[in-house]
Amino acid sequence: MTEFIKYFLLEPLQYEFIQRALLASVAVGISCGLIGVYIMLRRMSLIGDALAHAVLPGIVIGFMVAGKSELVMFTGAVVSGIITSVLIGFLSRNSIIKEDTSIGIIFTGAFALGILLISQLKGVHLDLSSYLFGDILGVSTGDLILSFTITLVIIICVILFYKQLLITSFDPTLAITIGIPVSVIHYGLMTLLSMSIVAGLQSVGVVLLVAMLITPAATAYLLTHSLKKILPLSVLIAVVASISGLFLSYHFNFSSGASIVLTAVMFFTVAFIFSPKEGLLIKYLRKKKTARTAISEDVIKLIMRYKGLQLDEQVSKLSSETGLHLRNLKSILNSLESKGFLYSDNNSYSLTNQGLAEARRLVRTHRLWETYASKEKFLSDDELHSDAEKIEHLLPDELVDELDRELGYPEKDPHGSEIPRTES
Amino acid sequence: MNVISIKNLTISYHRKPAIRGISLEIEKGSIIAIIGPNGAGKSTLLKGILGLLPFDSGEVKIFGEDVDKVRKKISYIPQREQFDWDFPINVYELVMMGRYAHIPFIGFPRRKDKQVVINCLEKLEIERCATRQIRNLSGGQQQRAFIARALAQESDIYFMDEPFVGVDAKTEKSIFSLMNELKSEGKTIMVVHHDLSKIKGYYDKVIMINQTLIAYGNTNDVFTPELINKTYGGRLTILQKTEELI
Repeated sequence: MTEFIKYFLLEPLQYEFIQRALLASVAVGISCGLIGVYIMLRRMSLIGDALAHAVLPGIVIGFMVAGKSELVMFTGAVVSGIITSVLIGFLSRNSIIKEDTSIGIIFTGAFALGILLISQLKGVHLDLSSYLFGDILGVSTGDLILSFTITLVIIICVILFYKQLLITSFDPTLAITIGIPVSVIHYGLMTLLSMSIVAGLQSVGVVLLVAMLITPAATAYLLTHSLKKILPLSVLIAVVASISGLFLSYHFNFSSGASIVLTAVMFFTVAFIFSPKEGLLIKYLRKKKTARTAISEDVIKLIMRYKGLQLDEQVSKLSSETGLHLRNLKSILNSLESKGFLYSDNNSYSLTNQGLAEARRLVRTHRLWETYASKEKFLSDDELHSDAEKIEHLLPDELVDELDRELGYPEKDPHGSEIPRTES
Repeated sequence: MNVISIKNLTISYHRKPAIRGISLEIEKGSIIAIIGPNGAGKSTLLKGILGLLPFDSGEVKIFGEDVDKVRKKISYIPQREQFDWDFPINVYELVMMGRYAHIPFIGFPRRKDKQVVINCLEKLEIERCATRQIRNLSGGQQQRAFIARALAQESDIYFMDEPFVGVDAKTEKSIFSLMNELKSEGKTIMVVHHDLSKIKGYYDKVIMINQTLIAYGNTNDVFTPELINKTYGGRLTILQKTEELI
């Protein structure tokens, strides 16, 4: 293990370009991780992708004017991002063109303009491919200063304007009615977005940038339901993904952008499957548990019906009526016994008092539901029983009591069977 | 003094008038229902008063001022279906939004704001759901949370758009009793309402519209079969017919 750490993590760190790349990863993780949450919540991932492309002409023009000055190229990028977002809004407001179409038109146009300008650069060289796909190992000190300045501005804005960003994302109507300038906040966010894009260009590049914005944010969103936790969690995921991607890129000579994005996608996949709240796995387990509860409850009712029979006779009846294999049936019987619903003696299963009460509760729910359904006529007579078989496992006790009250405490169900009452 | 004064208000969607030439004077301290058939412009009227839609013509004054100058004095409870219920906030944070009008532009909730929010949650009996994400509430609790938010705004006029759609009897009762409490404090409440069986005895006044104003007055005077018929009349009004030609 120590050998691994030494080789995989520490060895690269002796190089200055790796140290710079590491710091750049942190900056990108923070800025894209924060802004991405708002981009996701406002359903603007398409705009995120568009602006990532649309900053290109600004960068090239900056380069033409002042040479390789980070600050001028940065300014060009942000200006070009803002112009693009204004144009997108203008086009969809002033024509029947919908927003997604106007995004498609404007950003490809801007990107094409950038490529055209690059092709006209004479004598000097601007590496297009590092803009397209990112090159985190080539970060300069100037880039780094710029990235950290951007990150700092973004952190400060997200804290200071937390209220405005929250309210305009969730309920723009309320924002207007209490006098919050919704469009100022929108274009402010677009400015921050353009800035975080510039920070992210070095590490993942234009084409993959939107992944840096929304994949960590979406991963965090699957894991918690609180915005105050999503923001730091998204940052953490973005930073860890960037750093892991960086090391993978160094050791295996992968494209840095691709390995960062794929690490983030891997995190997302893990969250999608294992999230304790909404994950696929938990949903599957919940469903299985409900099914098992229903079968256990059926078994309790059946044991009441077949009390006194010999054990093997009981078991074969239970197995044929529930459709369970002997092994599964045995496990359910054992668990019911350990929970104190039934006991076995004289070579036969019987219900304990607790089991009897449970059985009565189920029968009561079943028969009250049948009475209700037949009175309200929302089920036909042949559907009554099978529907009540399902509903008896689902209705909570308070609802059953309410049903009983509403029906006027009936004594018999529609088939003439007695409705048991809880002792009181 | 009249709290709201509307003169000759006309608002259109895509060049088709939704409401036309409506003039109203709303007095302080009453509970007012806005009724009319689907598409009659009830929500449009509400949004027009709130300055959420551009006017074709006409004028709205609240406390004698333009709506932008009195934003702190009004609150609006929109229809419930327009929200993203998966949004990552809980009930407490939702209600705190109602305080944003009172917190400085750059600033954080102070002790007073937190106290107001807790009081509003208690008033609507949802303090126990305070930390629940808004998806994990019943329809009635969701509606009460939005009313708590409006209450936290501590305003003088409340605008509600169909607050009784999809809520349970308990919530309905608590909304009506809250409306009466607000009224006794001198506040004005305007409600877009659907259910004609719950007008008499619940509302002091009724605004009946079908694109134009049909009637406005005390419930006992205007909520009559003739006027209801006129508002909900099955025939297309001449206005609607001419509209189809535009």
